[in-house]
Amino acid sequence: MKRRSLLAAPAALALAGAPRILHAQEKKTLAFVVNVSADFWTIARRGIEKANREHPEFNMEMIVPGQASAAEQRRIVDELLARKVAGIAISAINPGNSTEMLNRAASQAVLFTTDSDAPASNRVVYIGTDNVAAGREAGAQMKKALPSGGKAMLFVGTMDADNARERVQGIREALQGGNIEIVDIRTDESDMARAKRNVEDVLARYADIDLLVGLWAYNTPQIYQAVKGAGRENRVKIVGFDEDGLTLRGVADGTIYSTVVQQPFEFGYQSMVGMVKYLNNDRSFIPASKQIIIPTRIIDKSNVEEFQKQMRDLLRTR
Amino acid sequence: MAPDLPLLELEGIGKSYPGVRALDGVDLRLHAGEVLGLVGENGAGKSTLMKILGGVVPPSEGRVRIGGREYPALTVSEAGAAGIAFVHQELNLFDNLDVASNVLFGREPLRGGPLRLLDRAAARARVAPLLQRLGADFGPDARVAELSIAQRQLVEIAKALAAEARIIILDEPTSSLTLSETARLLSLVHELRAGGTGVIYITHRLGEIIDCADRVVCLRDGRMVGALAREEISHAAMIRLMIGRDLRSLYTPPARAPGEGGLELRGLRTTAFPERAVDLHIRPGEILGLAGLVGSGRTSLARTLFGIDPALGGDIRLHGKALRITEPAQAVAAGIYLVPEDRKAAGLVLDLSIVQNVTLANLPAYARLGLVDRAREEVASEAQRQSLHIKAPSCAVKAGTLSGGNQQKVVLGKWLSMSPRVMLFDEPTRGIDVGARGEIYALMRKLADSGVAILMISSDMEEVIGVSDRIAVMHEGRVSGMLERNAFSEQAVLRLAIGQTEETHAGTEAAHP
Amino acid sequence: MSKKELGLGLLLIVIGGITAALNPLFLSGTNLLNMANLIGLFGVFSIGQGIIIITGGIDLSVGSMFALLGVILVDLLVNFELPWPLAVLVILAAGVALGLLHGLLVTRLRLQPFVVTLCGLLIYRGIARYYTQDGTMGFGYAAGDLDTLTWLASGRSFGVPNPFIILLVVAACMAVLLHRSVFGRYLYAVGRNEEAARHSGIRTNAVIAGAYLIGGGLAGLSTVLLVFYTSSVSPSSFGNFYELYAIAAAVLGGCSLRGGEGSILGIVLGTVLLQILQNLVNILGIPSSLNFAVMGSVILLGVIADQQLSRRKQVGALSRSPAPVASPAE
Repeated sequence: MKRRSLLAAPAALALAGAPRILHAQEKKTLAFVVNVSADFWTIARRGIEKANREHPEFNMEMIVPGQASAAEQRRIVDELLARKVAGIAISAINPGNSTEMLNRAASQAVLFTTDSDAPASNRVVYIGTDNVAAGREAGAQMKKALPSGGKAMLFVGTMDADNARERVQGIREALQGGNIEIVDIRTDESDMARAKRNVEDVLARYADIDLLVGLWAYNTPQIYQAVKGAGRENRVKIVGFDEDGLTLRGVADGTIYSTVVQQPFEFGYQSMVGMVKYLNNDRSFIPASKQIIIPTRIIDKSNVEEFQKQMRDLLRTR
Repeated sequence: MAPDLPLLELEGIGKSYPGVRALDGVDLRLHAGEVLGLVGENGAGKSTLMKILGGVVPPSEGRVRIGGREYPALTVSEAGAAGIAFVHQELNLFDNLDVASNVLFGREPLRGGPLRLLDRAAARARVAPLLQRLGADFGPDARVAELSIAQRQLVEIAKALAAEARIIILDEPTSSLTLSETARLLSLVHELRAGGTGVIYITHRLGEIIDCADRVVCLRDGRMVGALAREEISHAAMIRLMIGRDLRSLYTPPARAPGEGGLELRGLRTTAFPERAVDLHIRPGEILGLAGLVGSGRTSLARTLFGIDPALGGDIRLHGKALRITEPAQAVAAGIYLVPEDRKAAGLVLDLSIVQNVTLANLPAYARLGLVDRAREEVASEAQRQSLHIKAPSCAVKAGTLSGGNQQKVVLGKWLSMSPRVMLFDEPTRGIDVGARGEIYALMRKLADSGVAILMISSDMEEVIGVSDRIAVMHEGRVSGMLERNAFSEQAVLRLAIGQTEETHAGTEAAHP
Repeated sequence: MSKKELGLGLLLIVIGGITAALNPLFLSGTNLLNMANLIGLFGVFSIGQGIIIITGGIDLSVGSMFALLGVILVDLLVNFELPWPLAVLVILAAGVALGLLHGLLVTRLRLQPFVVTLCGLLIYRGIARYYTQDGTMGFGYAAGDLDTLTWLASGRSFGVPNPFIILLVVAACMAVLLHRSVFGRYLYAVGRNEEAARHSGIRTNAVIAGAYLIGGGLAGLSTVLLVFYTSSVSPSSFGNFYELYAIAAAVLGGCSLRGGEGSILGIVLGTVLLQILQNLVNILGIPSSLNFAVMGSVILLGVIADQQLSRRKQVGALSRSPAPVASPAE
């Protein structure tokens, strides 16, 4: 018993450190639940901040789970519901098997999905990228990078994530019938050092590899570094996803052919503004498909400089 | 069962460990309603014999018959089922459970059919009368952790009673009991005998054997060296069987009179008895024996002097200079060394070699720029091996492979390779055979003669009387008396050990040889 | 070289040989150098872990320490634009300080190492994430000149990756410290029998705290190397599980979790084996998903083999031993 009371002390301290909980009861809260910590979401945070400046009558927050696990996310959602938040936008980690949790959330608050959709649930709308389409874009870039075909290797954190699977699907669709062969897909369980060693090992094993593709934000910079380290910049092409600083540097110096970027700023901004509209009974922004697709952009040598500047500004203004 | 058929019969039991013959051709018989005293020195083979009876170790040869049935390979559960119960000197209780759970462990009354729930009410009801019969002042719900050692001993006995054992083996049952508790235990033994139980009573306290045993058998060096019938039992007879020589032959007088200075304690208070103060003076050149019952504060005193336990107050002076000792490193720096009671746990690092054990306490002396010079280490440890006659093929062998006596010599070598001014010996010969004992006593005398002040804590009366120049006796945390050599006697020591407050009891008078 | 290390070396050669036979590229210069680099990265903190394990302790917090010290390092270099020697010094000092903190909690408050460092694992990761607001910190937009440090931490000298050279230096220093110095002897004695060491006048608390301090310092050094390997630090995943790699390397290398056993050579060999295992998954084209399973199986087999061999050795020694073995205590 004594032990338990001792443990209660730090818990009480932790609670005391979060006075905004009390605050939340006066203003309606809109929460943006992401899947994992990443720069990607830092940019989305800027969008949320912009929305909050436009709608100061709401309390908007972003919540990042400690681990990228569906269980952790479920706990977060349960807690948000217990706090009676007005709206939740979520990038569900395992949307296919989270329908029950999502529906529970939808029955108690406005529920948007973002980044990864859960069409089987009662979510109001999805705001985000169409990852299959993004994959097709990347496939098109791959074909452009290797007009005469060749061997490609894909790198990603885990293949049990929907966006990884959809991007691969899009890439395969785009490459259908072409002469680019996907040798394999190497996963690293989100361990950056392993992501890099996977690239190094591939470079060591396949002397004839022509194209490396990074599917997740951190994969591309690790490919960039490993290729540079091996001195193979001139013989290996790189196509990536997302807008890591190093990725952009690689695009700028020509090592990376191009990168497919999403617009997380818009995810954050539009999700928040959309939830505000919905709570004010304005549903006109919801299309019949219940999907608001934010288009991806291709960043290559032609536009990288301007984009780099934009990103630096977004990430700097803390 | 025929009345004259023995409950227990051992025939030609032998037990060999690699390099050691622990038991050799032991015959033993125990009848119903008989109390058999089993005596013998430490290392004589009593524990091995008991382990065989308990099914813990198999004998190398010989036959075990219990209740007329022969057990070719007695197991622990067979021994229990055959009605053998042990009350160990090292208690086997779960101190995180209550008394009733301990007493009925493995035989818990159940309820709830297939759910197999514990029936706590039934357990209490069964244990309470047993405790009453033993005169226990605690109930079945008491937590074992909160009981004194004597009370725990009663729990062990209650366990044996609950198992309705036909053969109860008491192994040093009174080593930590008070006089009144001892008396109660002895009357209980009489009661068990009257009820037809066979009892094997192992103890060093010969007075208790005189009080209760019907017959005595004696083990020495793994052999049964003799038996005494009821009317033959006496101190002298038993001692003759146990050691086979004169008691006082151990003593070598000091080469010269003790010097001045040494270690002086004034008003020293230890954590064991915070409100009792100890005054003691250990003079250079003498061996001061420190006697007393287990738990009288002797070990705690040694640990405090060595800095293991904190001193709560008082002065320690060495050769007139005040010392502040809060950790062993300070004691070692001052030349105060402890040969601890538990050799294996505190004296040695069993997995290190003899070399590394010998130099451990003084390693910086063998090092240059923080790096150990192994050649110098070997020279130093080899010198100790030869001067102490440590029986080992080389100094590179691990200390754990040595016999008890040789291990103790390694502990000694560790300190002798340095410059001792005060040596504290805590039970220096526990578990060590007679031959090595003599060597250790001779060493202590040599050390004393070279001007070292020696304090020897011992529960072995023969040792205390045979080795010391003076004897200090402790009782409940303070020195209750000091005996000069001409006043040495078991009675005198014992009277001081029990605090001189109670009349000497028939059952405990001269409990030691 | 002890039997244990010899056995481990043999295992390395067998696994390496099989891999090379299946795909000769395993022995290509590029691949070997890549591996040497990773061995350097993982070896440095595995040695720290091993030293802590030798005292009978454990450090579960190293992975989280990498994340915390890593984001601080990037912050110091990129946002505070501190001169790199100063920034590296700060990280090393911070590592030493955290190690010392663990050591003091373990020795002064007598807390269990597992608990202390488990809390460290949680706390440091949490602070790292809070500090960066869950953002990835990287050198992508770095302004200052980091070329010297980048070269030191991830470049090559004479064609050999610098992390591997750093590991060799660290291993040599630690081997002298552990196997030749007074402190090293104390470490083994304390790990084997703290009570007896204390009874020999050794300041056991200082020895144990010293081990944690060294472990912390080496973790700080590893942070610098790892940060420059990945060039960015994502606070939620950077260094995740690395404490387990270190423990695995130490155990494979002959450290007993009960303390008092192990050698620097063994730990380094253990690290090499772990890295080979990860490498062969890629080189042989085994699905990445089986990576952990392969690693776990080989560790398990190695430990079982070691256990069986040492038991056989013990039995052999007993039956051959002419000296009397300690008779059962009375």
